[in-house]
Amino acid sequence: MIRHLLRRLLWLPVLLLIVTMITYALGFYGPGDPVKIVMGQRYDPETADRVRHELGLDRPFFIQYGDYVWGLLHGDLGKSIKYRRPVIDLIKSRLWVSFQLNAAALVLGVFAGIPLGVLAAIRHHTWVDYVIVTGTVAGISFPTFVVAPILLWFLAARFRILPPGGWDGLLSTKAVMPIIVLTMGIVAVFVRQTRANMLEVVGQDYVRTARSKGLAERAVVIVHALRNALIPLLTIFGLMVGGLVGGTFIVETIFGIPGIGRLGVQSFFARDYPVIMALTTLIAVAYALANLFVDLGYSIIDPRIRYG
Amino acid sequence: MGSATESAPRQPATAPRRQFGDGAVQHRSRWWNFGSRFARNPLAVVSLFIVLGMVFTGTFAPWLAPYDPTEVNYTEVEQMPNLRHPLGTDDHGRDQLSRVIWGARTAIIVAPSATVVGLVLGLFFGSLAGYFGGWIDNVVMRVTDVLFAFPGLLFAILVASTIQPRVEAWLMTFESLGSFVKAGYAEFLVVILALSLVGWAGLARLIRGQILQLKEEQFVEAARAIGARSSRIILRHLLPNALAPIIVSISMGLGGAILAETTLSFLGIGINPPTPSWGAMIYQNFNFWRHPAAPVLLWIPGLIVASLVFAFNFIGDGLHEALNPHLD
Amino acid sequence: MTRNQWLVTIGAVIVVSLLAVACVAVLALGMLADRGASTPASGPAAEPTAQVTTEVREEAEPPSSQEESPPAQQQESSPTEPPASSESAESQERREGGTLTLVGADPATLDPHLVTDFDSATYIVEIFSGLVSLDPDLQIVPDLAKDWDIDESGTVYTFHLREEAQFHDGKPVTAQHFKWSFERALDPATGSTVSSLYLNDIVGAMDKLEGEADEVTGVQVIDDHTLQITIDAPKAYFLAKLTYPTGFVLDQENVESGGDTWTDQPNGAGAYRLREYRLGEEIVLERNPFYYGEPKPALQRVRFLLAGGSAMIMYESGDIDATPVGLADIERVLDPTDPLNDELTVVAPTLSTFYVGLDNDIPPFDDPKIRQALNYAIDKDVLANVVLRQTIVPAEGVLPPKMPGYNPELDVYDFDIERAKELIAASSYGSVEDLPDITLTTSGGGAEPGIVATAVLGMLDQNLGLEVSVELVESAIFFSEVGEGSYQMFVLGWSADYPDPQDFLDIMFHTASSNNHINYSNPEVDGLLEEARVEQDHEQRMALYQEVERIIIEDAPWIPLFHSAEYWLTKPYVKGMIYPPAVVPRLKYVWLAQ
Repeated sequence: MIRHLLRRLLWLPVLLLIVTMITYALGFYGPGDPVKIVMGQRYDPETADRVRHELGLDRPFFIQYGDYVWGLLHGDLGKSIKYRRPVIDLIKSRLWVSFQLNAAALVLGVFAGIPLGVLAAIRHHTWVDYVIVTGTVAGISFPTFVVAPILLWFLAARFRILPPGGWDGLLSTKAVMPIIVLTMGIVAVFVRQTRANMLEVVGQDYVRTARSKGLAERAVVIVHALRNALIPLLTIFGLMVGGLVGGTFIVETIFGIPGIGRLGVQSFFARDYPVIMALTTLIAVAYALANLFVDLGYSIIDPRIRYG
Repeated sequence: MGSATESAPRQPATAPRRQFGDGAVQHRSRWWNFGSRFARNPLAVVSLFIVLGMVFTGTFAPWLAPYDPTEVNYTEVEQMPNLRHPLGTDDHGRDQLSRVIWGARTAIIVAPSATVVGLVLGLFFGSLAGYFGGWIDNVVMRVTDVLFAFPGLLFAILVASTIQPRVEAWLMTFESLGSFVKAGYAEFLVVILALSLVGWAGLARLIRGQILQLKEEQFVEAARAIGARSSRIILRHLLPNALAPIIVSISMGLGGAILAETTLSFLGIGINPPTPSWGAMIYQNFNFWRHPAAPVLLWIPGLIVASLVFAFNFIGDGLHEALNPHLD
Repeated sequence: MTRNQWLVTIGAVIVVSLLAVACVAVLALGMLADRGASTPASGPAAEPTAQVTTEVREEAEPPSSQEESPPAQQQESSPTEPPASSESAESQERREGGTLTLVGADPATLDPHLVTDFDSATYIVEIFSGLVSLDPDLQIVPDLAKDWDIDESGTVYTFHLREEAQFHDGKPVTAQHFKWSFERALDPATGSTVSSLYLNDIVGAMDKLEGEADEVTGVQVIDDHTLQITIDAPKAYFLAKLTYPTGFVLDQENVESGGDTWTDQPNGAGAYRLREYRLGEEIVLERNPFYYGEPKPALQRVRFLLAGGSAMIMYESGDIDATPVGLADIERVLDPTDPLNDELTVVAPTLSTFYVGLDNDIPPFDDPKIRQALNYAIDKDVLANVVLRQTIVPAEGVLPPKMPGYNPELDVYDFDIERAKELIAASSYGSVEDLPDITLTTSGGGAEPGIVATAVLGMLDQNLGLEVSVELVESAIFFSEVGEGSYQMFVLGWSADYPDPQDFLDIMFHTASSNNHINYSNPEVDGLLEEARVEQDHEQRMALYQEVERIIIEDAPWIPLFHSAEYWLTKPYVKGMIYPPAVVPRLKYVWLAQ
């Protein structure tokens, strides 16, 4: 166990190194030159060369990349080319916004998803089950940019119940629609997974044993089945917690929310690589850490799990 | 969403694989059995028809579309649905129905291709990792780790935009392919490559998990004992028995690929005009969300994308149940 | 019920409900169509995503990211007639105080020496100031310099600074501050991409920029309130260039102590100071009580909401005091029966021109007849009235109407398909079929080639049977490549930074200009442009530029399309609001009647 964790921890920096290197290379060899973008139509080659030199963008790949990693090790995420200010400044406030939004959606998703999943499993092969299943398939099938305009049309344009976008903190009406849209997908995943796990566990021996012992159906479900069915959900939960940092590119763009996702899309279009790098690194760290905790969590909840 | 892949390692062992040494008869009955099970799920059947309809529409787009999808007509702008234009017209007077029909062609080319390329990569690396274990397994798993650590959409965007000029330049070096590139097919290739590169990792893990489970089974031991070569064991014994979850995940993957392609087009990466694509239609009309014509201009292409993804997911569900008899 | 029956039932329910949704939608549409545009709820237009407008603007101003908050991007460039309210303003007393709320976009930078985009410049011209400035009519007016002398050679400018002028912190603004600021703008370490463009006429500027000198010899401090600037030739447009923020004064202590983020507490001398900037949320400006200029700012605060959302809806619910009107809202707002119609300001075109560039070196555009034919084949009336819904003014020539030297009598290409066909027949190619392949490149922030490019392509196909293929590249790449002159045909806009025809004609059409994306070269034009640069007599200079424009139109290296213009809604209690055709300080004119 310890050895396994240790290995995972050692792998983490290597993972980050590879992830950052790939991102850096994609940016370095990709089309579009950030200096030209900043200059736009007022471009002239000499000025561009001078600015590129000042920003150190004319050095060979591995020097620049090495420099970047060196800065990273010292907690320096670099400076945005577009905004000419430290990337960390740009990310800080936006990170918090995205985190709130996603955490709210995740919490709602879990609290709605698991009971619905259990319900569907208990009422397997009844209309309740089918309605829930159909709904969840819809939930994962409808892209954000299809759901969002429909919601906007009804809620913001026809009936003007909710504002169409913007951000005033989590506890404002502006956050309602983005959270609904985000939650839809998350609920669907939890329902599907809970239902599948429940169905499987219910079919297993120890539940049958419990049942045959004469325990009430509800007790069987809650005490035995649910607990075991929830364990695999941890993986998904872990993945999603990792995704919290990632923000949600499309939702934030559509609703004009000043979060990480929108920043990511904007930075991509401005070829602001220091920002893209920082976001990718951040998301990779979050993902890796979340997975680590999930592993830890497994070994605590389910002692049967051992690692080679 | 990848829900199929997440649940994969826990996929219950499929019944058919216990029938080691079965003959052709058994084999047929298995698929027969499967067919009848699938047919018992009307939603999945309806979905299958939606998909087939879309494939038909895409294939015969030039004959089905009443108008040229790129032809403007400024005397008929933003019309509501009427007899001449069953789905109305957009802000350039282009016929929406024709654009939707041509959009189907883009979707049915890109999504299956991306899925197939991803599948081939996933099958290859997944089975290698699962069967041989050791350092091969380690390398493959670490590579998938890296891919998982990337924020999916951003990575696909970055990859697509980085390789696009290179792919185009490379294709242009072949004299005969110039018109191919000009016609916009290079963009298809770019998107297919980007999507499959991002998508194969999940499949590889799923297959590896299956193979790990299966290779302890007696029939594999037996095959090994009689000296069968590894490639034969993998291809003849392991993969066919891991087929059920793979098929399910392909079906879901197709839906996912359509979603991904639309999203990329929506962001303006990859497939570009004049090639009609649903994502581009949604993007083009997105700022009309408040306009009275929004339901026609914006919702229709959106709902078509959604219904196709929906259909693939339902087929996936239907297959899952049909291939896992003990779920009943 | 059996499982099968359940499934069938559910399937049926889904199908029926989808149909129901479709029916409701169609019904709703029918009703809306009947009720017409006066229904408030039928309010069109989505600012959060009004890509169309944004995109067009982006073509003019690359740095604005292609996100979904066009309101801000529209803001500064919004042109105008003085609003109706300004007349009644005289009868009412100018009232001090109050908060004006507008929508805005995150500035790329608040550093005047670095700024390249409209969004940032909007804030910068309020916070900072320079020697000279532009008034709302785009006349060059004294700012921190109360007056200036030009010697007879036309190259030595002596500026007399206002003695009472102070920075926001109360420190007096001196000539030394100016010298330091010019040298900072020209310091290679500052990394300004625009100082070479706006300050290059100053003697010694380029040496400093290339790191060969520590000082800019052309800028000399005579005493605390006298500054002398020497330029390399008697260029009449030099003062106009100084109105751009690169020539603004900064407080040395403020910049040096603030490090990378000194712009978080900028100490300028402008009418407003930065009170608060919350990234992505809000910028709050506050009245500068020590402001030296006239009029004194009246508004206590000005808030710019940055978070996005539909500006139109925010305006209607009273969250903001002014909004640009997006393409999708135009029809409704133009309706005289709509209450919003009273609050509408129709603004004059900006100092910008959108055009189709034709590379004069690449066939078939090496033949002027083909270029002229294409000019005849675009129906600008349809473009203006149908495609862009009267939000623009069709462009006849190169110069926009508000530009000095604009020639309303220019002989131009009126839409004429027959003439276009004749020209093609008379060209060296002979017919449309024999033309080589043509590709139009356009920048897109999204998946559509932009409303304008689509219309151009459609019209060429419809009117001439000319099939032009389109290549859509992200704006990021577009601006890298268009500068290399590698596009055969492209759609682009140019927006002047200062009101002088030099900023259009010289920059776009001189053979040696880096902005000549179309490889246009006409020795006669070059000669006239060089002559105009140093011509001292204003009338004579404008005449030279008009001659240049005439030749250019004849050579047809472009298809001029339109000058962007806009519609703004302003709440009736907002007085003195102006929407000038370029970025100029404007908040000091505004006050609130309640």
